[in-house]
Amino acid sequence: MTLAAVGLGVAVAVGALTGLAAVVVPVRGRSTVVGIGTAVTGVAGLVAGVAALGGQTFTLVLPGVLPLAGVRFTLDPLGGLFLAVTAGVAVAAGTYGISYARHGLDARPVQAVFPLFVVAMLLVPAADSVGTFLLCWELMALASLLLVLAEHRRRPEVASAGRWYAVMTHLGLIAILIGLLVLTAHATNDSFAALRNAAPHMPSGVRDVVFVLTLAGFASKAGIVPLHAWLPRAHPEAPSHVSALMSAAMVNLGVYGVARVGFDLLGGGPRWWWLLVLALGALSAVYGILQAVINTDLKRLLGYSTTENLGLVFLGVGAAGLFASSGQHVLAAVALAAALLHVVGHAAFKTLLFLAAGSVLHATGTRDLDALGGLRAGMPVTTGLFGLGALAASALPPGTAFVSEWLLLQALIHGLPASGAATAIVMPVTVAAVALTAGLAVATFVKAFGVGFLAKPRSTAAARAHESPVSMLAGMGLAGCACVAVALAPAVALPSIGHAAQAALGDGAPGVSGAVTLRLTGIVGSLSPVLLAGSLLAAALVVAALLRAVAVRRERRAARLWDCGAGPLSARMEYTATSFAEPLQRVFDNVVQPETDVDVTHHEESRYLVAAVAYRHRVPDRIERRLYQPILTAVAVWGQAGRRLATGSVHRYLGYGFYTLLGLLIVLAVTR
Amino acid sequence: MLGLWRKIRRTGRVAEPAPDRPVGPRPEGAAVLGGSVQVRHVDAGSCNGCEVEIGSAFGPVYDAERYGARLVASPRHADALLVTGPVTRNMAEPLRRTYDTVPHPKLVVAVGDCARNCGMFAGAYGVAGAVSDVVPVDVEIAGCPPRPEAIVEGLRKLTGR
Repeated sequence: MTLAAVGLGVAVAVGALTGLAAVVVPVRGRSTVVGIGTAVTGVAGLVAGVAALGGQTFTLVLPGVLPLAGVRFTLDPLGGLFLAVTAGVAVAAGTYGISYARHGLDARPVQAVFPLFVVAMLLVPAADSVGTFLLCWELMALASLLLVLAEHRRRPEVASAGRWYAVMTHLGLIAILIGLLVLTAHATNDSFAALRNAAPHMPSGVRDVVFVLTLAGFASKAGIVPLHAWLPRAHPEAPSHVSALMSAAMVNLGVYGVARVGFDLLGGGPRWWWLLVLALGALSAVYGILQAVINTDLKRLLGYSTTENLGLVFLGVGAAGLFASSGQHVLAAVALAAALLHVVGHAAFKTLLFLAAGSVLHATGTRDLDALGGLRAGMPVTTGLFGLGALAASALPPGTAFVSEWLLLQALIHGLPASGAATAIVMPVTVAAVALTAGLAVATFVKAFGVGFLAKPRSTAAARAHESPVSMLAGMGLAGCACVAVALAPAVALPSIGHAAQAALGDGAPGVSGAVTLRLTGIVGSLSPVLLAGSLLAAALVVAALLRAVAVRRERRAARLWDCGAGPLSARMEYTATSFAEPLQRVFDNVVQPETDVDVTHHEESRYLVAAVAYRHRVPDRIERRLYQPILTAVAVWGQAGRRLATGSVHRYLGYGFYTLLGLLIVLAVTR
Repeated sequence: MLGLWRKIRRTGRVAEPAPDRPVGPRPEGAAVLGGSVQVRHVDAGSCNGCEVEIGSAFGPVYDAERYGARLVASPRHADALLVTGPVTRNMAEPLRRTYDTVPHPKLVVAVGDCARNCGMFAGAYGVAGAVSDVVPVDVEIAGCPPRPEAIVEGLRKLTGR
């Protein structure tokens, strides 16, 4: 029995028991029991994941559990990484949920499903056969759907978000199901080992179909444009600790799926596969962050930011595949390590940000940035932690996302001399897309933090905000520590991540090395996050000390804030989230296409007198409107046409049955 | 192009010589400024006659900037206030706040008869008083409106150039 096996076993057992306990325990202690149980599940899963990353493997075959195929689990470094990330998020979300779930979320179903959702997510990267994988995947989707719908009685928007999520996640499941079944049809059984053996002997057309179908399914789970429509709906409407789990852990499994099927099971593929992944990633990164920067709903903004970050991860995976297909294994390893490190970093800061957004929602009852502000006074710890998360998300040193985006850019820039015209065109465009994304991400998080937490409160709810209970702060604190750890010491995790990347690429190329200073092997490039952060801190201290030294000599006088002498500045004079994003919206006017309506009502007696002016401004999701609206309209028309068949006449229905049977018999008679 | 250069060389300097340095005592505190005075203009209720003349004083003909006085956009950047008009009730408090905002050492120049003694608006119901009733005044410039030369002369008392 290895540590990985024990850890995963304990995690599943504790998770299942917690789910049971939630049904039995009375409502007073329920959220405490579930929160602690989920956190323990997470800790056990974290142990298993880290052990698997360190090289421990185990395989568990339970032939009797599922009919026909049985259940197979195994852990390898790639699965271990995703297991560890999911488990880490579960620790923070579980701790946070102890107090958070007391406010209207402590009903039996929600509390029982929460640990099961975590268990399902832990099992997905451990699954080792198509049947097991699909079972865990569907369990995860259903559990998350139930959790998204937790507050459907209080808010009608939740039901609509749930419908979108249910339909899209199941369409994704169908795509993955068909893809994997086509793959299984060419193998002896449905275990991943058999698929790995069969893949090289398959016709290339079939391999293409498998990859494209699974890519569509996994991309929809990861919220990749144009399959992202559910993400900015479902993530904001779910309870915040569930949002954190979905946005920081569940979407990652889409990346896991692409890496598992593309690199591991199919063993790499032609260049266009990876160009497709790379293009989807770049499009998602830019489009996601553009929507995030103009959004004023705090949680929706974070949802779009998830699309952006997963886009960057897909971009890294696509680049890795591209390099691997042209034989540059060093670059491929660096690009995949960058993508996987970004998964880890994104999980850390997105957990923190969603939990902090949950605290804000809990304290003020609103997610609208235009109605927030001034939370620094009422909730200083949450403000500090959100600030940390915002810095981590904005790809600036010493932020968490900085190291992974630096690695990604290194891989892309050094990929320029790679062979082929496609690479020569794609790489510079991709570098530009990453750079634009990083810049817009800074603007997004400056807006979210500055408008949401600083300045003066813009509503009475924001003015009355109060700090969250200890367990919520502890959950956010854990995520914050993870952010700092990934930002300052990525070298601790990078060798094992590089190990996972090598294992996935099936190739012995070393990627990134070094303890304090990261060195890229094979290409010129080094970075030391600790020294960078240290020098920034030292510079800040020197400036502060000099200021202090200079200020001592001068007389100090407290004067009121200069307000043009007109009286105190009011909250109405502040920048709002809308006004902060307005210049950017104007720059990207052609892309986002905002809609503005101005209705002027004139006085009855004179056209020169204005009675009222109504101003409406909204920024619709353009891809959604162009792509989804026609499909929805067509489906509605088809449904209307279908209703003509069902008139309510029993004779007609009997007739349908009779003629169908007759038709089938004729077909059988003719074909036999 | 060469023709233009030749023209410039041949024309030489056409500006009139600078007028003599103003006589009279320099206001207390002006010497610390070392000949460079940043000025914030405050309209405390003027009819805009003085504003036109101030604009002219800082224009290319009279060019007060060559003596070291410069208009700035915020009292936080200023050494001196250039106040015009009788101080109206609405502007009394903003003027006081503006004066408080200017860092030490600070000077106040009252421009025009209205600023000195309310001029033709003396006793009007909306007038709170002359500038010296609200903030301490260091230099007064007479005239309704004062000529640009007078304004430049008043500012030169501050800069000492």
